[in-house]
Amino acid sequence: MEIPMFRRVLFVALIAIAGMPCARADSPAVTAVLTSSEAEVDQPVQLQIKVTGGSGATPPSDIAVDGLDIRYSGSSQEFRLNGLNASSSVVYNYTVLPLKAGTFTIPPQVVHAAGGLLRTPALTLNVAPNDGAAAGSRRGANALDERKMVFAELVIPRTSAYVGEIVPAEIRLGFNTRVRARLADGPNLIGQGFTTQRMPQPQQSIETIDGRAYQVVTFKTAIAAARSGKFEIGPVEAKAIVQVPRRSGSRTRSPFDIFGMDDPFSDPFFNDPFAGLAEQREIKIQSQPVTLEVKPLPPNAPPGFSGAVGIFNLTTDVKPKTAQIGDPLTATASISGRGNFDRVTAPIMESDRGWHTYPPSSTFKPDDDIGISGTKSFELVLTPNERKDAVPPLIFTYFDPLKEKYVTLKGDKLPVVVEGGAAPAVTPAFASSSVPTTPVAAGPTPESQAQDILYQVTDHENWGQTFAPIFMCPVFWTAQAVPLLGLIGFFGWKSRQRRLENREAQKRATWEHETSELQKKLRRADESPDRYFAEALRLVQLKTALARKVEPNTVDAESAVAAFQLSGEKRDRVRELFRRSDELRYSGGQDGDGMVAEETRHEVLELIDSLS
Amino acid sequence: MRAKVSAFMAAGLLCLTIAPRTHAEADSVFAKANAEYAAGHFREAITDYESLVKAHQWSTSLFYDLGNAYFRVGDLGRAILNYERALALDPSQPEAQANLRLVRDQARALELAKSWPEEHLAFLTSNQYAWAAAAAFWCAACMICAFYFARRGSVVWIFTLLLLSAICVGSAFAVYAFENGSTGRDLAIVTGKKIQARLATADNAGAVLVLPPGSEVKILSTRGNWTYAALPNELRGWIPAESAERVRL
Repeated sequence: MEIPMFRRVLFVALIAIAGMPCARADSPAVTAVLTSSEAEVDQPVQLQIKVTGGSGATPPSDIAVDGLDIRYSGSSQEFRLNGLNASSSVVYNYTVLPLKAGTFTIPPQVVHAAGGLLRTPALTLNVAPNDGAAAGSRRGANALDERKMVFAELVIPRTSAYVGEIVPAEIRLGFNTRVRARLADGPNLIGQGFTTQRMPQPQQSIETIDGRAYQVVTFKTAIAAARSGKFEIGPVEAKAIVQVPRRSGSRTRSPFDIFGMDDPFSDPFFNDPFAGLAEQREIKIQSQPVTLEVKPLPPNAPPGFSGAVGIFNLTTDVKPKTAQIGDPLTATASISGRGNFDRVTAPIMESDRGWHTYPPSSTFKPDDDIGISGTKSFELVLTPNERKDAVPPLIFTYFDPLKEKYVTLKGDKLPVVVEGGAAPAVTPAFASSSVPTTPVAAGPTPESQAQDILYQVTDHENWGQTFAPIFMCPVFWTAQAVPLLGLIGFFGWKSRQRRLENREAQKRATWEHETSELQKKLRRADESPDRYFAEALRLVQLKTALARKVEPNTVDAESAVAAFQLSGEKRDRVRELFRRSDELRYSGGQDGDGMVAEETRHEVLELIDSLS
Repeated sequence: MRAKVSAFMAAGLLCLTIAPRTHAEADSVFAKANAEYAAGHFREAITDYESLVKAHQWSTSLFYDLGNAYFRVGDLGRAILNYERALALDPSQPEAQANLRLVRDQARALELAKSWPEEHLAFLTSNQYAWAAAAAFWCAACMICAFYFARRGSVVWIFTLLLLSAICVGSAFAVYAFENGSTGRDLAIVTGKKIQARLATADNAGAVLVLPPGSEVKILSTRGNWTYAALPNELRGWIPAESAERVRL
């Protein structure tokens, strides 16, 4: 029983092995189909190029047909086991968007597969004009017309303006609430001859237009024409990415599945599960342009007009209220209102005679998001050159587009008290005493006659002064030699002193050592009298030298007595010691049997020990 | 050796002989210039004053009077320049200070912004700071020397040494800041009229700043007939080299 079964399996395996080369040896083939040969404008259809039996095929990257927008949207792979015959194929998907009505032919496309070139058949697509109602009924509830998905609108409330006048503008972008959309680029206001204010963060709202709900994004801005004439403002352009529901008909059946045997795994959902629910599309949104007539400003602008157009108010102030001549005062001018603040410059003084003004500084505080209304504040630093009782009024000129005329705002006269400080104005020009003074001859003089310079100085002192800084003059460095030499001298003196102190200390140490040695010797009884007394004398001399800081050799009996302030018996004994030592040294006399008597030795040691 | 000593002594004697004569000549020229000024002959006075300047017979009074003469002929830029020179020689000269302020106001001359050290350390001049630095240095050196020999110190000793070191370093820094600051060796005054600082060394290059006569600039470098300068309002630009003169000669 088992043998026939084994044979059967073996037979099937052999057949399969024999058939595999046949399957592999299938020559590559290519076909191309459209999901529908009939379409309407803006109604996409799918183009699928199927390559069978060709590994590593390269599909056409760009298919150009006038009137059709064809874009590659992905690929899917398919394996089929038909009995003993296995085959694989790759389907390349393209989205074809008809842009206009007519009959279009998609030409044969070249596909590189298995080292060869394959050609797809030419395909024909009939595109009918888009009828909204009909399309709506045909597409069903989920399909949306692109024109109804988004809209753009430019709202300019004025039809005419003056050059430089700020005209508010509003850009509205609407997205159908049934589609998911996001703004990819823009909005951009197209056109020339005008400037656009910055756009703050947009406002969003839900509005119902023609029965459809839209999410409306509103950008607020303002424009100002740079020259006169008739301008087209806009259109506004923006790009958005929208996700539209995939049409149900495109999923149901593959065009290659001619026998209705489509397996569920060939569905594009398995290539991109999310793309299967909705498809992303970048769309361009464009509004209608708006015409604006720009009128030139009237001629004969007042002096000081800097191009400010709008409606403004001026307030001024000055601080401090009291100052000396030459002290700075700060005048503050605040220009508030609505207009082109970028052209609003600092007010000028009605008369700057007797004042020295410095370049003003300014700050702008906007009252709105786009900066066309607010307050621009200027600070002008003034220094009075003479006595003053007020700062002259500050003047600001602008063009009022409502009144259609130039307006000059004049601030109040700002009372201050400027008192004379140095007051060089009242000093006579020639006050020198050593040179005869004469009135200044007529000649070119500076513009201000109210103030004059001080007198000539006729005293002359130290000719030949130099501009060189002192550290570059020889005298400076020569002067440094004094402390340097002093320091060197001090250093040398201290060093020598220290050296001498060291030598004295060494000498004392030697003496102390010798004293110690002699004391040990004298306690021994093996010395001859002449040597004993000589050493005793030396010991007295050393002790005296250590006490008096003198040379030991210069010490005699009297100096030793004086050094230790001896009196009476000790004095005599010291003298006797010196005498006996000299006697033994010079006369060579002997005492006793050649050894010092114990009693004598004891007395000498006692005497020496008492010297302290 | 003897010949060298003789030559040195001869040179010294020559100097001692010539110097008074030169000063006497300078006195007479100065007096003549003052007389011309008093007579209202300002241009003649300027010529005489300038001859003294060329002869390096410089003094505070000379530059002050020369500034006055230039003011009288309406050359405010050179008037300011000479007042600045007078103040460079003697920063405390009150007449030069007063006249400089007055003429600067009339000329609407722009001034360079002062750096922090120039603003806050201005109670001494650069030369005074140099002396202070030297004195502090030597005092500190003596203290170190004494410390070396004494081989013992105290907190007061160390504190004094640190204080002297700080004075020395601070004064040296002040000297450096003054010499390289807005009133330092590179300070120049615009003497030309209608001078515009430009972005490049060309007459048609973009303008950076209009410099009224008497405005201060700090010369940074020179290229041909153009000078690159630091300008008032923290700007920089190129100006014609002949349009500005250094304060320090």
